[in-house]
Amino acid sequence: MVQRAAQVSRFLASDPVRRAPVGQAPHTVLHRQNKARLLHFAPVEATRTPVFVSMPLINTWTVFDLLPDRSVLRSLVDGGTPVYLLDWGAPRPEDAEVTLAELVHGVLARAWDRARRHARAQGAEALDALGYCVGGSFLTLFAASRPVGLRKLALLCTPIDFHASGRLAVWATPEHFPLDAAVDGFGNFPSALMRSSFAWLRPMGQLQRVKSLWDRIEHPGFRDTWAAVERWNGDNIDFAGEAYREYVRRCYFENRLMTGGWTLGGVPVDLGRGEVDVLVLAASRDHICPPEAAFGLAAVWGGRVDTRVLPGGHVGVCLGRGLPAALDAWSC
Amino acid sequence: MAEKNDLFGELEELSSGFYKQWEQSMTGWWDEVLESPPFLQAMGKNLEGMARGRGAYEEAVDDTLQKMHLPTRGDLTRVLRVASLLEDKLLSMEDTLLKLGDQLVAAEKDAVQARVEAAEARLEAREQLAAMSDRLAGLEARLAAPTKKKKPAAKRATKGS
Repeated sequence: MVQRAAQVSRFLASDPVRRAPVGQAPHTVLHRQNKARLLHFAPVEATRTPVFVSMPLINTWTVFDLLPDRSVLRSLVDGGTPVYLLDWGAPRPEDAEVTLAELVHGVLARAWDRARRHARAQGAEALDALGYCVGGSFLTLFAASRPVGLRKLALLCTPIDFHASGRLAVWATPEHFPLDAAVDGFGNFPSALMRSSFAWLRPMGQLQRVKSLWDRIEHPGFRDTWAAVERWNGDNIDFAGEAYREYVRRCYFENRLMTGGWTLGGVPVDLGRGEVDVLVLAASRDHICPPEAAFGLAAVWGGRVDTRVLPGGHVGVCLGRGLPAALDAWSC
Repeated sequence: MAEKNDLFGELEELSSGFYKQWEQSMTGWWDEVLESPPFLQAMGKNLEGMARGRGAYEEAVDDTLQKMHLPTRGDLTRVLRVASLLEDKLLSMEDTLLKLGDQLVAAEKDAVQARVEAAEARLEAREQLAAMSDRLAGLEARLAAPTKKKKPAAKRATKGS
């Protein structure tokens, strides 16, 4: 036990979290708008339809490239799939007035257009799209507007039926969550608050993180993974204030993706208009977006919806072998 | 030594059993607390207080800076917001230019295609004309040849009778 304590202390003293080499997959920046960037990950030889990826706004994109041998992006690229990834960037105080419509119909739509142009120049006429968490919810809104060149869609841990999202749905109600006061006071919703609220979703999970390090400190692979996940966990990003206000009100308070009756930037939100095939991937132990919240899409989407549960939690699913295999089969 | 190892093994097993039980009971307790209305109301009020405090602080700092004739955070965020809106407008114009470029390329393709088709049609017409003139020349030649041969024979017949 003393030996193990010494091992853990030595490991933590080496500052592994700060030194974790996340997001190392080679890429180029194709387009920028405000803080957002469109990244291009090119394979040696493109043999498959390119994939456009919409990442969550509240964390960095590096969750898809935590370690070289546990990287969703690298597995796609190694399989011959060119990847265009939308990194939303970190909003600053001047972005507090950025609306949800600006993000979906502005930033996302333009990044999609730029990705499609680039792909077309390389000989690909259509693109597939993959969304993760909030990025997936935004991508669903965009896909329902029937963008040109979209072949099919995959959504990973993407909440659609927000009233089925477990404890978050209990917390995010008009009675308990002072949304207007929070946005008016803070401007952008602070990442620190989001991080702590996610931690409070599973208080014992915090202890389990430390315990897992204690139990498996002897495995070098586990140490690297642990440090990479910790680094990513600490890289939360503020949520642009006005966009957050509309997102929480329409999605968590009113569940408008399921019920409809929402006009976003002059465009009615109607998922029934969506026509492409969708693969919905949920994580079995996801406490942020439980499978029921993700599978809600099947009830409202206009096209065909396939559902699948992968082992793991909201973040852990990105580290498992199941996700690359599922995406490999999907992107054929 | 073996006895010592056994003892440590048992202790470890016992402690992990205790830990699991404790974890289970704590999880149940937290589940109750974290979803209880009084807790949620208190957390909501706490958050509201924090947000209002932060807002008041920012306002106070802005007021102070304004009184000192210095640009405030509000001024800077406004300027930067305008800059990002201008960037959006520029990108919209770039979008339009790109679309126009696409349309031009498509129109150019159509024009080139039309010119190729017209040239092909002209070539075809020229070939048809050449064939027709060949046929005409042939006909003329055929018409001219028999009249020269038949005339003297007829004359001979009339002379003999």
